[in-house]
Amino acid sequence: MILLNDISQTVLIILSIGLLISTLEYLKKVEIFSPNGLLSWNVMQLKWTKQDQKSFLKPFFKLFSAQGLTVLFVIRCLLIIGLFFFPLQSTTGWVLISLLGASLLVASLATYYGSDGSDQMSMLIIITLILCNLPVLASSKLRDIGLWFIALQACLSYAVAGIAKLVSSEWRSGTAIKDVFSTKTYGSKKATLFLQKYPAANRFLCWNVIIMESIFPLCLFLPWEFALIFLIWGFIFHFFTAVIMGLNSFFWAFMATYPAIYFVNHQMSWHLF
Amino acid sequence: MILKLDPTVIYETVVTVFLASWFLATILCQFKETKISWLIRYKIDFFNLIPLWTFFAPHPGKRDYHLLFRDKISDADYSEWQEMEITEERTFWSWLWNPEKRDKKILSDVVQSLVASIPSYREKTGNLNLLMFSTPYIIVLHAVSQYKKRSQDCYRQFMLAESSGYQKETEPALILLSVFHQM
Repeated sequence: MILLNDISQTVLIILSIGLLISTLEYLKKVEIFSPNGLLSWNVMQLKWTKQDQKSFLKPFFKLFSAQGLTVLFVIRCLLIIGLFFFPLQSTTGWVLISLLGASLLVASLATYYGSDGSDQMSMLIIITLILCNLPVLASSKLRDIGLWFIALQACLSYAVAGIAKLVSSEWRSGTAIKDVFSTKTYGSKKATLFLQKYPAANRFLCWNVIIMESIFPLCLFLPWEFALIFLIWGFIFHFFTAVIMGLNSFFWAFMATYPAIYFVNHQMSWHLF
Repeated sequence: MILKLDPTVIYETVVTVFLASWFLATILCQFKETKISWLIRYKIDFFNLIPLWTFFAPHPGKRDYHLLFRDKISDADYSEWQEMEITEERTFWSWLWNPEKRDKKILSDVVQSLVASIPSYREKTGNLNLLMFSTPYIIVLHAVSQYKKRSQDCYRQFMLAESSGYQKETEPALILLSVFHQM
């Protein structure tokens, strides 16, 4: 049985919960990969037009049918369940996560459309954990470097998202959140009615997101009690984007990076004040 | 003095350089598209490993996309427009379990990809005929072609439209109207 006293292990466990949900969701919707589905491989393969790409993809053609992907997703679920029992730093744990990484990489060819930032963050974390925990060769220093990479990517993601919002007139004027919440794709009727009733809340929420995302990387340099404010904000932010916008997989993918942020914050030899 | 190469140190160096390059490539691919970012994203990043972290910015998605289709049985006989059910409302448990988000995201990605490519097709050829050979167009056509036909030899046309969801003040708008395709 695994213990949560290792930061890399904690990252993996949080991520695994999200990946298990995401894989079960794909299993529920596996008909999208059938010949009649939106992501039928008959059509998706047209994306790769060059001869060398086609020959590379040939072995996967049977796999990208609805039946093939069902098998892949079931195997992925079993691998994830296995990761709850075998530590990352054991050989079995490393083999399980490597197979999980391979399944994510292969399936990404068929899910070019429909994947999102949480899938990319998950992939990024899994590949980092595989590389930085290779039995025999990976040192404890390399495991630390992996955690640094995950924490820096997380901070970069928030900062880029914040700056991109800061340069947007729709975000600065405070209309963006109301507009997004009013769509059936990412919004909700209750949230739309609430924001129509309290227009000041629009501006507050927009600027709250702009400021907190833009300065999020400060959490690496601030004393822990102040850095914690950013992580609590992030938790609330992702929880509400899951509740209101249905972005459940973002919650797990980004929460998985927080132990790495905690680690880097505590490794800093100096803090801002 | 002979320098002894330790496999652990070599491996550590290789992985560190790889992760540093990955981080640098991620920074280069944010915001404005440059020659380098284009090269990384479209020629090197086969597995979509370089993220774009500008979520919902600078232009937040504030429209719902709708995919509709109709059949032409004869020059005077057209079926009613029928909508593919994609933008259905979420359930109470969507914060934890939300399989429906994939369909919505696929259609949203495909439509955005189509919309983004329209100006370049117009610029290059003066019309949108070549758009019919693009992957997003074929995905949409393939999706609508799976629905039951009105007759054996009918032609099918699809329409991509957008609406402002729960805000009723804006009228739904047409994005793309296809030609009739023989089914």
